[in-house]
Amino acid sequence: MTTKPSSRLAAFFANQRGALIALLLLALLPFIVGLFDGASLAAVWVNGSGQSKFIQGLAIEIIILSIYALSFDVIFGITGMLSFGHSMFFAVGAYLTGISIKSFELGLPATLGIVFAAAIVQALLFGVVLPRVKGITFALVTLGIASVFHIVVMSSELGKYTGADVGLQGMVVPAFISPANERLRFYFIALTILALVYLLYKRFVDSPTGRVCIAIRENEGRARMLGYNTFYFKLAALTLSSFTAALAGMMHALYQPIVSPNVAGMGFTVTALLIVLIGGVGSLEGALVGALVYRLLDFGLRRYIGESASFINGAIYVVFVLFVPYGIVGTWRLKSFQIKQGWARMTGWLTGKPSSEDSAR
Amino acid sequence: MEHILEVQNIHTFIGQYHILQGVDVRVPKGSITALLGRNGAGKTTTLKSILGLTPPREGKVIFEGREVRGMKSFDIAAQGIGFVPEHRAIFRDLTVEENLKIAERVKGEYLRKRDFIFNLFPDLSRLIALSGASLSGGQQQMLAIARALVADNRLLLIDEPSEGLAPVIIEHMMAAIRQLSQDSTVVLVEQNFLVASQLAENYVIIEEGHSVKAGAMKDLVNDKATIHRYLGAA
Repeated sequence: MTTKPSSRLAAFFANQRGALIALLLLALLPFIVGLFDGASLAAVWVNGSGQSKFIQGLAIEIIILSIYALSFDVIFGITGMLSFGHSMFFAVGAYLTGISIKSFELGLPATLGIVFAAAIVQALLFGVVLPRVKGITFALVTLGIASVFHIVVMSSELGKYTGADVGLQGMVVPAFISPANERLRFYFIALTILALVYLLYKRFVDSPTGRVCIAIRENEGRARMLGYNTFYFKLAALTLSSFTAALAGMMHALYQPIVSPNVAGMGFTVTALLIVLIGGVGSLEGALVGALVYRLLDFGLRRYIGESASFINGAIYVVFVLFVPYGIVGTWRLKSFQIKQGWARMTGWLTGKPSSEDSAR
Repeated sequence: MEHILEVQNIHTFIGQYHILQGVDVRVPKGSITALLGRNGAGKTTTLKSILGLTPPREGKVIFEGREVRGMKSFDIAAQGIGFVPEHRAIFRDLTVEENLKIAERVKGEYLRKRDFIFNLFPDLSRLIALSGASLSGGQQQMLAIARALVADNRLLLIDEPSEGLAPVIIEHMMAAIRQLSQDSTVVLVEQNFLVASQLAENYVIIEEGHSVKAGAMKDLVNDKATIHRYLGAA
């Protein structure tokens, strides 16, 4: 018995009820915040200042981080490839956007084309090593490639284009999406892109290709025994990831509009890793929840604690790994906190005797 | 007699160890052939060598008249060889249905074979939405075999199908293997001689990396000396 495409689509959206409600709430968010702030709907609509505009800015940053974290989750959480060079995927999108607009005065469509072409090239570059290395070796090789890129964008020889260690500045964003004057429009475009990327990713994970990627994560040898040349599936996941991260990088460059060399560094890859660990590895929704928690935590701590925020942030992540090892979404699905196991792990670490669960690994 | 698989004098190394030192296996089409021998004799390595998972350095592996030694394991599998590894190697994070669908080589194969598979393993049909991790050992073994049936595999390599299963489940498994052998040729590695002797028509005994004896199972069952010498069973 076959199912009609229309009913399949209806079933797909029925399964995404939670995501659709979240999308609706996010679409209304600027207006709700505006009303609480005493602003009229019209004032919010014409990009008046105030809390609504500030919240839109914060939300845009979270959306960009979400898209970036999704791109990491598809290769790490879904396909099981740990890349330490993921920030390069993002940074290539950000830098090429800045350079195309500032140095070559290209329009957005041409810039988008260049960013996507570069996304293919960088995925192929990572793909070259795929058949030869896996596991931690893949992580180190990707770190090496990304480190070379980081050095290149920091170099004074290319400073005319990249801004070297100061970063790429002075980019003039097209007026119709100017984050200063048309922030609400930027917000809706970013939200639409996030919704489309999320749906695309859901579709990918539920597709035959996505299932093979999950099988590769579980046991690549078994996937090969079934007759799959796993190289092509890993390359597909890398390409999808590269496209998405580059798109997030492009959005970042347009929103800031400045590209710091930090986005090409190892630290920004760790940011993606932390986000998916907080939210839940391999769940997709975890990347979105993780980005929200990560950015709000970072913002809140910096605002109220200042420079010590990084230290507190780090401590919170350690507690997270100990007590919520499946991330927020994973724990929600399992309906089980790991309080007892978390204490056992912590005392194990402190006393140097690993817990029975850790020893079994 | 037409042979679907001919393994000729293969030598396989794992690291520096010379594990298979001349193994010959001839598998008649439509039969069940058991690879017998003590633990560590090289039975599983023989299956893996056929599939290219531990590629042989010397010898020939001819499947349906075509030399497959030297091909990548995924290319060998795609020729029409299904492998059911020991320890019920299913995908634990995928559901039962996803585990079956992933074995499709041509779109729609799962839908065409679904009734056949669920007739063979009725338990699986009611577990279809459960994840592989939540199945019992016997159910995981059934799923592992069922997965090899989805694609158009003319040869099934089954490693230790009865390992760790309760007797009642073993009976069920044996009935299923007998039934599926009507459409496919089966090579199985089985430590339990009683199970192997009831299932297989032919045998090959492997001893310390060499194939030392082969023939019809009905002859071996009456040859107590050979059984005692190579299998340790009386």
